[in-house]
Amino acid sequence: MTERWSRDQVLALAPDASSQKAAQGVAAAGKWSLRGTTGTVLYGECKGSGARPYLAAVDLSEPAYRCSCPSRKFPCKHALGLLLLWSADGVPAQEAAPQWVTEWLDGRAERAAKSAARLDAARTRLATTPGTAPSARDAGPSAPGASAAVPGAGPSAPGTAPGTVPGTVPGAGGRVESVRHQRVAAGLAELERWLADQVRQGLAGAQEHDWDGLAKRLIDAQAPGVAGVVSRLARVRAEEGWPGRLLEEYALVNLLAIAYRRRAALPDPLAQTVLIRTGFPITREEVLAGPPVRDHWDVLGRRDETQDRLTARRVWLRGRRTGRPALILSFAPQGQPLDASLVTGTTIDADLTFYPGAAPLRALVALRHPTTPPPAAPQAVPPEAPPEAPPEAPPEAPPEAPPGVSPGEALDEVAWVLGEDPWTESWPLVLTGVVPGRTTLGGLPLHPRAHDPWRLIAVSGGRPLTVAAEWTPQGLRPLTTWDDEGTAVIL
Amino acid sequence: MTGWDELASTALVGTDRRPYGGDLLEAAAVEVARRRAGGRVNEPGGVEPAPGEEREAVGRRAAERLGRLLGGEHERLIPEWLAAAAATGRRVPAYVLPELLERGRRDRSIRVHLGVLAGQRGRWLAGQNPAWAYLLEEPTGETWELGGAADRRAHLSALRAADPGQARRLLESTWERETPDDRAGFVEVLADGLSMADEPFLEQALDDRRREVRQAAANLLTRLPGSRLSQRMAGRVRARVTISGDTITVEAPEACDRDMERDGVRPKPPRGIGERAWWLQQIVSRAPLSFWGSPNVLLGMKIPDWDAEVKAAWVRAAVLQRDPEWARAMFGWDPIADLLECLPPEEQQELAARFVRGHDLDSQLIMVLGGVSSHWREGLATAVLSKIVKVNTTQPWNLGELVKLAGEHIDPALFELAEDYSPAEPVQKVAALLRFRADMYKELSR
Repeated sequence: MTERWSRDQVLALAPDASSQKAAQGVAAAGKWSLRGTTGTVLYGECKGSGARPYLAAVDLSEPAYRCSCPSRKFPCKHALGLLLLWSADGVPAQEAAPQWVTEWLDGRAERAAKSAARLDAARTRLATTPGTAPSARDAGPSAPGASAAVPGAGPSAPGTAPGTVPGTVPGAGGRVESVRHQRVAAGLAELERWLADQVRQGLAGAQEHDWDGLAKRLIDAQAPGVAGVVSRLARVRAEEGWPGRLLEEYALVNLLAIAYRRRAALPDPLAQTVLIRTGFPITREEVLAGPPVRDHWDVLGRRDETQDRLTARRVWLRGRRTGRPALILSFAPQGQPLDASLVTGTTIDADLTFYPGAAPLRALVALRHPTTPPPAAPQAVPPEAPPEAPPEAPPEAPPEAPPGVSPGEALDEVAWVLGEDPWTESWPLVLTGVVPGRTTLGGLPLHPRAHDPWRLIAVSGGRPLTVAAEWTPQGLRPLTTWDDEGTAVIL
Repeated sequence: MTGWDELASTALVGTDRRPYGGDLLEAAAVEVARRRAGGRVNEPGGVEPAPGEEREAVGRRAAERLGRLLGGEHERLIPEWLAAAAATGRRVPAYVLPELLERGRRDRSIRVHLGVLAGQRGRWLAGQNPAWAYLLEEPTGETWELGGAADRRAHLSALRAADPGQARRLLESTWERETPDDRAGFVEVLADGLSMADEPFLEQALDDRRREVRQAAANLLTRLPGSRLSQRMAGRVRARVTISGDTITVEAPEACDRDMERDGVRPKPPRGIGERAWWLQQIVSRAPLSFWGSPNVLLGMKIPDWDAEVKAAWVRAAVLQRDPEWARAMFGWDPIADLLECLPPEEQQELAARFVRGHDLDSQLIMVLGGVSSHWREGLATAVLSKIVKVNTTQPWNLGELVKLAGEHIDPALFELAEDYSPAEPVQKVAALLRFRADMYKELSR
């Protein structure tokens, strides 16, 4: 049985505002000629404009959605409407689901098993490749609790084999790489010269078209990561106190170019960070093949940002056992469905695999464990569930604020992260015992665009509470808080 | 100047003009990392924590429904939700407060409920955000002296409800200094708890410079059959009306003299009405209805001249004087919502139901129904549902407002009746809205 989500949590799954509205329109009992839930799956028949009702189903454990309507929105209004009804206690419990629902669930289970098998195979392949030990990071951040569990703390993992040249992505062909490296090196050398000129001639000299041209040349030089940074400079120029901000950006991108040039001298995780930030791709498969980290992950919040007709969705997680933060990043063309499988305020039992780097944050959900954990999951880190826990205990924890740290400890963590990866611009934190103000949170500054967080202030009433927030160099952006009853309040 | 400011200003003018010993960009990179990684916790400044709540919060489901309403779903139900929640003596959970207070900032009509619902936390928040400060404006003696027009009116209303005489004396004490707009508003406040004790003050107000003030005073005096104004009006009617047998002979006034004007009779008729008819209507509507006797007898009589004018004036008189007997009788002649409002709720519904059965769907029907006080019982509910089913077969595009009114005013406990009444879509829409409201009340009663 899945803990019922609140209305806000459901609406947060909608791809856009018009879907939210449409979903509310079908979230009426009268629209559904049939509806039911088995506790893990919701299903229903919704009267549409056609003769046949639409068949909608939601697998609550992921969640995953299915609907027979032709909408290209995902999840569609029927799935969302069904969830809203359920959220309002409007879906009766049933013993068994109809056949079309069970068929869908079986198909999904089959596909999940296949992909798990593929993952296992990939990991085995990697493990048998001499020198590449996927278990290396397994042992890494295992100490539960506070800052000791900072990701990758300690000399954790040389992610690549000693034999490979630092600065190449494992699994990529050598010759192609070297051609690309020549191009990138040339592009970044030009960037370094250009930056040096700017500092000699004065920051006020550069115009938007200069950055545009530079960004285009960096794209041609196959350094899209750096190109992205450069193309955002026009926005920095428009900020208040721009000379300082622009100098920050110039200094960091210059540092990246230098780090790339000297990557052979860098420790391997940092070299990985530099390559990824420069724009060398890593495939999903490579990441998924990495060592999984199993934990109960609290979904702390999310933010969508649209840029160049592409919407990026960031979902931040934090592991209960490992204390490890994670960022699940997904993209979709504007108007197309985004990944809606992570619901803010819930806790998922899952294997995550992280992108390599000095302060790894971005991750993929490799495997979600079902409601009752399988007895012998071969690759699973033994869960720390207390032995007296009854077997039917749901891993979906009842609402409760995730564990957090004090502002001071959080700053220590940020300092460590920046020491590993000075280009870090975002890091999820869970702060406990913090009092929000109009421009500060627990004595730390809020991001200028997050000033006057009235909802957070209202929930706190001037008293300390637990807040999940995104650290950024410009200040904190609150994501979620938990009220007296442990209910997640999305901010 | 700190190290960073030094670096930034040097970079701004350029090292060609202001030489820098070393690699400026590399030094800046170190400084950026140092500054970003070296954040400190500042002791937060002291806002006193909110005092503890005396009231319980409404349940989570109820609060979520309020969130839906505030989010735009069935927005017209917001006042009903707030009134029902306030009646339970509870408050809303803290997280909805910003949205709710923001709503109250734009919509004065809901503020009356917010005092209870916002709780201590709401007042604490309002103390921090000037946009929500309206929540703190409790009417006190001070607001009468210094407050804005709305606060002063609220203060006067509250005092009037508690002690009508005291309220009138307070008003008299500052009357001369009030602006004409305020005076007109204040006179209307006296409608609550009106008695002959107010008569001398109101009689005096008939000499006010501002027409709105004179009119408001005259309207109130009309409601007091013993007032000098009512007696003067009765005298005017007596001079022009003779009842003999079953005939009412009426002679309309020839002129509107100064005394009539002082008593609230407007000399200039609106377009389409003759002067004499206009004056006649006004004196009849302002003369005490007790002058005439039983309405049912009178409506059976013949009025050879000025028939329509006299009857329109009786309608107006019933409304002005809030006379249920006359309102009941006149509704048959001119079914308007104003007349219904003079009647007790059950009777409103009976009359309205009869009217719905015998009347086509038009704007008059909508207006009449809009005047029937809420939670329609079965009689009126079935009359309206049957009308919806009928209209749905001929002109379904006209049903929008009727469906909304039905959904918003029928007793929500009747949702099953509506669900089973007909499978027609508009009826199901009504049923869905009723169920929504039924759920709303159910959640609030937990």
